[in-house]
Amino acid sequence: MSRPLISVQNLTVRFRTDEGLVTAVDGASFELRDGEILGLVGESGSGKSVTAKSLMQLNAGNTSYGPESRIILRDDETGGEIDVLSLKKARDMKVIRGGSISMIFQEPMASFAPAITIGDQMVEQLLLHTSMTKRQASEFSIEMLQRVGISDASQRFAQYAFELSGGMRQRAMIAMALSTRPKLLIADEPTTALDVTIQAQVIDLMKDLVAEFGMAILFITHDLGVIAQTADRVAVMYLGEIVETGPVRQVIRAPAHPYTKGLLHALPRLDDLDATLTPVAGDIPSPLERPSGCVFHTRCPEIIAGRCEANLPEIASLGAGHDVACFAVSSPEETTA
Amino acid sequence: MTGKPLITVRDLSVHFSIGGALLGQKNIVRAVNKVSLDITAGTFFGLVGESGSGKTTLGRALLKAVPISEGHVEYSDNGVHYDLNAMSARDLKEYRKRCQLIFQDPYAALSPRMTVRDIIAEPLEVMKLTNSREETDERVRAIATKCRLNLEHLRRYPHAFSGGQRQRISIARALVCNPRFLVADECVAALDVSIQADILNLLKSFQEEMGLTFLFISHDLSVVAHTCDRVAVMYLGQLVEVAETEKLFFSTRHPYTKALLSAIPLLDPDAKHKTIKLEGEIPSPTNPPSGCKFHTRCAFARDKCRAKEPALVVKGENHFVACHFADELMDENGQAGSA
Repeated sequence: MSRPLISVQNLTVRFRTDEGLVTAVDGASFELRDGEILGLVGESGSGKSVTAKSLMQLNAGNTSYGPESRIILRDDETGGEIDVLSLKKARDMKVIRGGSISMIFQEPMASFAPAITIGDQMVEQLLLHTSMTKRQASEFSIEMLQRVGISDASQRFAQYAFELSGGMRQRAMIAMALSTRPKLLIADEPTTALDVTIQAQVIDLMKDLVAEFGMAILFITHDLGVIAQTADRVAVMYLGEIVETGPVRQVIRAPAHPYTKGLLHALPRLDDLDATLTPVAGDIPSPLERPSGCVFHTRCPEIIAGRCEANLPEIASLGAGHDVACFAVSSPEETTA
Repeated sequence: MTGKPLITVRDLSVHFSIGGALLGQKNIVRAVNKVSLDITAGTFFGLVGESGSGKTTLGRALLKAVPISEGHVEYSDNGVHYDLNAMSARDLKEYRKRCQLIFQDPYAALSPRMTVRDIIAEPLEVMKLTNSREETDERVRAIATKCRLNLEHLRRYPHAFSGGQRQRISIARALVCNPRFLVADECVAALDVSIQADILNLLKSFQEEMGLTFLFISHDLSVVAHTCDRVAVMYLGQLVEVAETEKLFFSTRHPYTKALLSAIPLLDPDAKHKTIKLEGEIPSPTNPPSGCKFHTRCAFARDKCRAKEPALVVKGENHFVACHFADELMDENGQAGSA
């Protein structure tokens, strides 16, 4: 198998705050290959966005990474690899930011500068990160706008963000993120602020672009339906830990971790209108008071007394790339049935 | 549906004028345009549509929180009758005791400077519904228990609570004056799925135990499908389809409803998903299209749609559709249940 594009190993992220050290991500590991879409799901506060921002070192100044945390990016130019977390100077980070990795955010209105035209913002980053001339950059930007399905692209190019509708803005954001030809696109809740009809358009667009450009996408969302329709693999996060990861079909049809099962039972489904919605019992604990042992044991319906409170479950493989961290499903025989 | 309507709406329009008379031109936004509907007492009535379709404005008009431009809204419950067009200031105060609103964002809806107890007690004090502090406290505790709030938390401030707990506080405040009718405006949109399920179950239990009537406004069709008894679909200020939930989702008549349903991302990764692509976005309500408002995005649009506006007419039992070709489209699609 070819080398993964990016490999995250044992990522731990802590923030120094007035209330003490808050652990946002605890020992998360995953890999992404070229052309693969990995969905990252979890409730708010589970550490999805912090994980994504770590890949570009975009977390705030009070962040400390664990000593064993590694984010290794394959470097195709030298054939070597880049250790992202070891980069300290903004100048060195050019290989990542605007280079190998691009990111799009939930609220496109907040991501565009309001007083600069869409076109100028697209051209600016191309001048910074590529060797294009200004004219080439303009032409290329208009071409990218057309590519993401914006009509009258040359007219839109000269407009400001507020003149565009929500769906159009998100398309422009995607065009801008892809114009530097990144190998990895991080999409942080890209469709959450959009209506379902526009969401469907944006999802189709992103799938087409993967087929065309071959980049990998880390797709962050809280919506399991969106994940089912886009991702190849999915990782479920709870309180900063990845509790289950696997191929999307496997995880949605045969979830192994009690938390994943809980999320699926809480979701209103259109194929069974009379099903009762079952919320996951209890509230998500404060990150300042992380439970001992398995982080989910305070809300878990399958808790094994004496074991889950005390010990941290190891990640066990259920085969076919399906991994789960839970004592209740540790042996593969039980789950093959 | 055989029950008596609690809320009767006839040809309701809410228009806002924008732009200065200074420039000599005045634009009128037709946020709600000639809407008629009945909300049966004791039911969950769902209202869905894209952003900008006028859902919120319609909800607020029923509470007389926005001025009604044309048409009638009437409330009648066991001999108590209000006509929102002819209402004195005193009547309006009485009406507000019966009709309350639950907001979308539980972070913005609660004052950070008031304790939870004061937040929940405020409607009682403002409307002078209790005679003593003891009585107020008693009612606050009773409703807090019903909303599954910890009574020890009443002394705390909202910042100490999570989104789901805040939404329960917000619901407790809306319910403390014993209203009969609640407008829940996107009240689960800002919540995680697990908390969303919890809040929906709570609201349903109030419907069953206290016989409350809800207007449930949401953009999330799967949430509406699970909660509501009857659903209305809104597009550019008008209702395009109204039916019992089962009928709306499984014998869909209007092409817009079909497109909305087909756009929902399904949980089955292999679902044969025939997404009906809607071109472009919802047109501006200042300059709505001629004829059928949906014709600019409709795959079945013909000349008649551009020229003449379809009326909301009965097609089947209690099933209303505003489409010239509803019968033909039904035939083409067989069962038509694309979800």
